[in-house]
Amino acid sequence: MNAEVLVDGRWLEPPEPMERVLVALDVLRPGQTLRFLIHREPIPLYPVLRDMGFRYAAHPIEDGCFEVLITRAPKDA
Amino acid sequence: MASPGLSYEQAPPFGTPLRLFLAAPLFLVLAAVLAMTDPDAWLASRWTPLSLALTHLLTLGYLGTVMTGALLQMLPVVVGSPVPATGPIGWLALIGLGGGAMLLAAGFTLGAPTLLMLAAVSLAIGLVPFLAGTLVSLIRARALPHVAWPMRQAWVALILTFALGLALATGLAGLWPPPDPPGLTSLHVAWGLGGWVLMLVIGVAFQVVPMLQLTPPYPRGIMAILTGSLPVALLLFSLAGFFPASLAQAAEGLALVLGMASSLAFALVTLKLQGQRRRKLPDVTLDFWRLGLASLIGVALLVPAAMLEANPWRDATQAILGLLFLVGFAASVVSGMLYKIVPFLSWFHLQAQTQAKAGSIPNMKQFIPDDRARWHFRLHLAAVVLLLPTPWLPHPVALPGLVLLAVSGLFLGVNLARARRTYLAHGGAL
Repeated sequence: MNAEVLVDGRWLEPPEPMERVLVALDVLRPGQTLRFLIHREPIPLYPVLRDMGFRYAAHPIEDGCFEVLITRAPKDA
Repeated sequence: MASPGLSYEQAPPFGTPLRLFLAAPLFLVLAAVLAMTDPDAWLASRWTPLSLALTHLLTLGYLGTVMTGALLQMLPVVVGSPVPATGPIGWLALIGLGGGAMLLAAGFTLGAPTLLMLAAVSLAIGLVPFLAGTLVSLIRARALPHVAWPMRQAWVALILTFALGLALATGLAGLWPPPDPPGLTSLHVAWGLGGWVLMLVIGVAFQVVPMLQLTPPYPRGIMAILTGSLPVALLLFSLAGFFPASLAQAAEGLALVLGMASSLAFALVTLKLQGQRRRKLPDVTLDFWRLGLASLIGVALLVPAAMLEANPWRDATQAILGLLFLVGFAASVVSGMLYKIVPFLSWFHLQAQTQAKAGSIPNMKQFIPDDRARWHFRLHLAAVVLLLPTPWLPHPVALPGLVLLAVSGLFLGVNLARARRTYLAHGGAL
């Protein structure tokens, strides 16, 4: 099992990046991290992730793009 | 400060903007059909009762419903503060604007003062709650200045347009003798088209062109200049009457040059950015935008000819200027945006409501297939191209363009209704 799953949503037309993330989250196993690359800060995604019980950390990378690391929140959180 | 985002809790129910969007095409069809009854009357001058009726069917009925619906949807998202009571405000905007547009059109065409009074009341019912609700949102806005200011300016322009229109309509209805009706009308038109419509399109473009068309962002300097130059032009134009006669003409001229230069700059920069988009795939929204921006360039270049008293075609030029701005520019941009907004909101609300597993709900293209939207674009483009030279051509030649315009409105209505049907069929709630 890979520890990291990569979804590259850079320069895809909205809402395709979000759709791809949702597909990947569906099969994300506990302990795995989803690394999501996107060309602008994916603010609409954050409340969706919170509602679905995921934790995320976003930071800027090159070209004005963002990297968001998503993991399943611990059960008691 | 982080820019605010689209969250499901902040967005109004889908039914609120959708109802306003679904009503809009009806007014495009109505305007086209009414224009068929006497093309000579509206081609002759912008002052004929029919011209005034058509203008308000397009501005209040078509553009007004879409722009209020889109603002109720977008404001909470782009400025980060909700509009209170969006549901009731949306209903009142729909009834008030729709009813007001029809009453005003009927009042002008039939020359009936009572209908003009009723139109004024109806428009107040539609616009006062909308202005109040959006004011609350704009005052509390948490967004960056280049996001919030164009919206605030459009709001000010709308309230001025509305107040001037109210004064003119009640004056025409015989309630009071308004001072200098042609002067008030100039201000009403300037704030309505140059302030509300153009400023809002520019402010919205700053956000949605880079986001939806994957272009580089607008340069900060350009955004700052455009946000400042249009209000300065409008204020100069409005206050010119208070200057000494020698200065007044210069102030008005400067205002026009500034307004034209701002329009040209906005159109050219946007076209350039769209040329640099990351994915060069066919996109019907982009085509609508390009037609709209080309029309805006045409408007800026035609304004001097429409003002020139020595122009033997002055009246016809003014009629065409109105057509080019309303149908060529504003209606194109608005239609193009609907093809992004409606499928996106359909998908977004369905996804949020059903917590759907990806793949189990339709994607954006399935709400309104590309080829359906493209047919609407072709009809719209053909209508604009056929209508522009009509003042200079023999009489019946306006009819084909008007028929195409009416059919394009029907196409838009059918396309939007299809998105609604698909949304409901998958369990979406309005």
